[in-house]
Amino acid sequence: MEMLHIHCMKLSCATSFYTMITLDNVNKSYGDFKALKNLNLTVKPGEIYCLLGANGAGKTTTINLLLGFITPNTGTISINNINVQKSALKSKQYLAYIPENLMLYPNLTAVENLNYFSGIGGKSFGKKALETFLDDAGLQREAFHKRLSKFSKGMRQKVGIAIALAKDTKVLLLDEPTSGLDPKASNEFGQLLKHLKNKGVAILMATHDIFRAKDVATHIGIMKEGELKYEFETDKISLAALESTYLKIMDYKTLEV
Amino acid sequence: MFKYNFIYEFKRLIRSQWIQVLSILLFAVFSFAVFNGQQKTQKRLEEISSVKEKLKTSEAQMLSVLDSIEQGFQVSVSRWRLPSNPMTIGNKHPRLVEMPPHQWTFISTGQSDMYSHYVKPTVQANDFELSFTEMTSPTQLLFGSFDLTFVIVYLLPLIIIAFGFNILSYERESGALKLLASQPVSLTFWVFQKLVLRFLWLSVIVILTLYLIFSGNGINIFKEMATFFSLIGVICAYMLFWFALAFLVNIFGMNSAKNALVLIGLWILFVLLVPTVINQVGNTLYPMPSRTIMVNKMRSIKANATKKQDEILDNYLRDHPEFAINDSTQNRTFWHRYMASQALIDKALKPVVSNYNKQLRKQQNWLDKLKWLSPSMRVKAALNNTAGTSTTDYENFRNQALAFSEQWRKHFIPFLYNNTPFSSKDYEHIPTYQYRQKAHSNMATIGILFAIALLMFAIGLLASKNLKYKMNLTIS
Amino acid sequence: MILKTLSKEFKESFRNGKAKIAFSIVVILLFTSVWLSMQKYNNANKEYLKATESERHIWDNQGEKNPHSAAHYGTYAFKPKQPLSLIDKGVDKYVGTTIFLEAHYRNEAQFSAAADQTGTSRFGELTPDFILLFLIPLLIILLGYNIFTKEKEQGTLFLLKSSGASINQLTLGKWLSLFIPIFLCTTIVFIIAGILLSNLNDYGTFSWTSLISMWSIYIGFYIVFINIVMLISYVSKRSGLSLVIALSVWIFTCLVTPKIASTLAENKYPYPTRQEFQAMVTKDKKQGLDGHNTWNEEAQLLKEKVLKEYKVDSLHQLPFNFDGYRMQKGEEYQAAIYSKHYNNLKAQYENQNKTYKTLAAISPFLPTRFLSMSIAQTDYATHWHFSDAAEQYRIQTQKFLNDNFAQNSVFGDWKYKADSSTWSALPQFNYTPQSLSTIIDTNKSYLIILGLWVLLSFSTLYLTIKLK
Repeated sequence: MEMLHIHCMKLSCATSFYTMITLDNVNKSYGDFKALKNLNLTVKPGEIYCLLGANGAGKTTTINLLLGFITPNTGTISINNINVQKSALKSKQYLAYIPENLMLYPNLTAVENLNYFSGIGGKSFGKKALETFLDDAGLQREAFHKRLSKFSKGMRQKVGIAIALAKDTKVLLLDEPTSGLDPKASNEFGQLLKHLKNKGVAILMATHDIFRAKDVATHIGIMKEGELKYEFETDKISLAALESTYLKIMDYKTLEV
Repeated sequence: MFKYNFIYEFKRLIRSQWIQVLSILLFAVFSFAVFNGQQKTQKRLEEISSVKEKLKTSEAQMLSVLDSIEQGFQVSVSRWRLPSNPMTIGNKHPRLVEMPPHQWTFISTGQSDMYSHYVKPTVQANDFELSFTEMTSPTQLLFGSFDLTFVIVYLLPLIIIAFGFNILSYERESGALKLLASQPVSLTFWVFQKLVLRFLWLSVIVILTLYLIFSGNGINIFKEMATFFSLIGVICAYMLFWFALAFLVNIFGMNSAKNALVLIGLWILFVLLVPTVINQVGNTLYPMPSRTIMVNKMRSIKANATKKQDEILDNYLRDHPEFAINDSTQNRTFWHRYMASQALIDKALKPVVSNYNKQLRKQQNWLDKLKWLSPSMRVKAALNNTAGTSTTDYENFRNQALAFSEQWRKHFIPFLYNNTPFSSKDYEHIPTYQYRQKAHSNMATIGILFAIALLMFAIGLLASKNLKYKMNLTIS
Repeated sequence: MILKTLSKEFKESFRNGKAKIAFSIVVILLFTSVWLSMQKYNNANKEYLKATESERHIWDNQGEKNPHSAAHYGTYAFKPKQPLSLIDKGVDKYVGTTIFLEAHYRNEAQFSAAADQTGTSRFGELTPDFILLFLIPLLIILLGYNIFTKEKEQGTLFLLKSSGASINQLTLGKWLSLFIPIFLCTTIVFIIAGILLSNLNDYGTFSWTSLISMWSIYIGFYIVFINIVMLISYVSKRSGLSLVIALSVWIFTCLVTPKIASTLAENKYPYPTRQEFQAMVTKDKKQGLDGHNTWNEEAQLLKEKVLKEYKVDSLHQLPFNFDGYRMQKGEEYQAAIYSKHYNNLKAQYENQNKTYKTLAAISPFLPTRFLSMSIAQTDYATHWHFSDAAEQYRIQTQKFLNDNFAQNSVFGDWKYKADSSTWSALPQFNYTPQSLSTIIDTNKSYLIILGLWVLLSFSTLYLTIKLK
């Protein structure tokens, strides 16, 4: 336990110039149920932050808060230094989001879906540009002009990434992106995230998958009952240590830390 | 955003075959309705022209007899039917008082299945004896007919409901909502745009279909632009009303099934329940004056009047003009007395009838005001007005017919009193009737419906600001 | 199993807010409409009694008068309200209630309520039949559209199937859960209506048998609807789809088909206009005996015939007034003409009926609608029956008056006046409505069609569930 404390790096609450995603002292409760307790979290450009935790730990609540779908009871949330509660629409200009089960319009093609979503966001591209985004997102060329109704989850996610690319997003929010993907697709997806990270995108990803987290993340946070219990820099912890820490937190509820 | 919604909404509607199915459905239903309407109008026109034809033949016969009499020839007509007697012309050769259909009558059966479209007022009959109701199977009246108005008032809202009940809930249920909500666009505004687009598409389909069917049925729209546009205006305003309702339900609603139920509930409310309840309440609070009691009153008055006449008229002769005419000494006094007695009865009955009508009008006016409680009632009334088949049109016709009947009688009475024989020259001067269409304006209906729809849209758009709590439920 | 399913379904509906609200609304509307209908019924009845009485009073007190003058003076026949019109108003609103009975003319019933109302009234009225025919089927849809689809959506249908439960018993349980509330609410309304009607002072023609027959028609209709809704729910994948299909079926059967039927009936077998009809009658009348016109050819023939029969050579020698006799013959001739033309009209109406019967094959609403209003005696056939009865009475009255004239005066004596006590000797007009068995007999094809609907819908439901 003592060892773990050493590795735990408490990040400062202050919003640095470089911070893309900031949650500052955020509390969110539904009636008596406290979904988030004093959450402080920041992600900088070029970082992939993985939130680990059981169902109901508050991962999705965190993402929904960042998207402005829900409002916190106290605390401030900002994307690219824009307050999400105050200017929800403006903050959304800088973020892209891929939900757990990304669904697009089944009777539009990949290119058309991409064009529509970037279009209603206010950006228009030519056909070439649209195809380049899909290409960058790793979608096979044959699928560009096929309707989405026959796409697998992995393919749909690639379209989602393409939408993010087209938006030239600074922030990418991912909710359980790898669940239900086969290992190959999951691996591809991980590579794609690394590519985005290298381009300077700040990525926040909620997941159960500690192996994928260890693989792609630069930072890992473990949540439980609305609290961020631990934060690591991925380089500084082995997979085994990460797994045992995670399991300990999940299993022993009475364990005092 | 609008441009992309516009393009992709169209693509999606075409690819899901919504537009194709809808166009075919509307075309079929509208065609059937217009065909029925046209048949009814055609029948009405044929009836009127056949009666006109018959009147013309008998008129020609009568004129030739009159000519022979004037030339001093012997004629083989019973003495009490001689056309030189003005009363023969007044009674046996009436004018046709007709209410011909106009170009747009086919859109709405309205009250046309219940009332007559022509009467032939005579000098002899009093106004009360003119019957304005038509012989129709009451079962048919009960069921109503499948006309354009039925399609527009009853079925079109259902198509709109099917077209717009799940704009937002579909996104949620299909899973696309989250991605959409993460875009820098207002969801409420997005739903608004989608519904407005669907409204535009549906309007285009409706207008095109109607244009094609109307042209196919030989109706020259460009000749009657004003009516066509007022018709389209009413239809579009009514559609916008339902789209606005769908918008509110989309914004405040939850899942597709519930939205559909709520919208169907509203449809039942506006199309079925409110009108029936208004009728019921209206008839309970302002009961229709009883015809039975009116008949009773009229009978007593008539009985008294008849008793008075007995003093001046021979009881039998009053009922049997033909005998009176045989008796040459009474020849001119009979009609004189007959008309006098008719006038007496008419005068005595008038207060009862006009009192009844006044009471009826009051009740009808009261019900009329309540029409705004249901846009469907209002739209039906507007379409009936456009078709010239509304209650007011028939009332207008009735009043014109009664006025003409009066004019007709007044024209012949001097002949009777002066005992002037009727000549072919006089025939040229007898009054003729021309139906004067009542002018209706649908501007109020269109304006108010648009205003209601815009108000609902505004409420939805404004309320969405306080709808954050909803997102919580809707998204997670 | 059946009971368990039943209690589970009840619990679910009871916890379902929208089902509760809709059910309460329909029940409240139903009771309100019965109450309102009762008020109207009482009112109309009072008016009818008053009008009949006062009209008879006027007739009786005509004073001394030539009988033929009295015949022209005429009398009115008023149509009584039938007790079951409390539940089904049928076409009452569209037919006249008053027939003027006079010499030489058969008049149509005048003063239909609809002709005095505005177009608004064509939307219908809040009457029990409106709720029974339109809203309760909708309620069935609302209660039952997801009866199977919800199990599919929750995945519980497979669970139930895999647990070895008999699908038949499951279906029966679900069927009963829909049927029982509808059955109870309908039955209670009919019982209340029956109690209200049997407590009226002059309920003369009310019979519980008619009420029960009517009730069973509605129950049959609801069974068909429940079967259809369950079938749709069983074959649909999702609740939303099931709701849309069920509603489309409702719109088609209850709203669209009747209108298509009436439109087709009218197009195929049109009625003449009133003026045309009158012109045809007048034309026929002219060709025959005119009771008044002594120069008429037919009148001359009649004269010769009577003279020959009585073996006299002048009309003055006859033991009765030939004028009265001739007028009676003329009256009979005219009555025959009316009868011919009205029979033509009736034939047209029968033809129209065939169209309705054909379309009843695609809509269970139609047989129910027709059976209900014929049992309530508010249908078109009853109106025919009434106007025929009034015509019979008119003919009888004319005979009474002409006989009086013929027997009490001599030929040429047009000044004859019957005693003022003469008039009350004329029997009163009493309309006896058709018996239930006659009604059932004339409507048996509708009964068969509805019966077939019940059988077919049951067997389709059974087979679908068994095979799928």
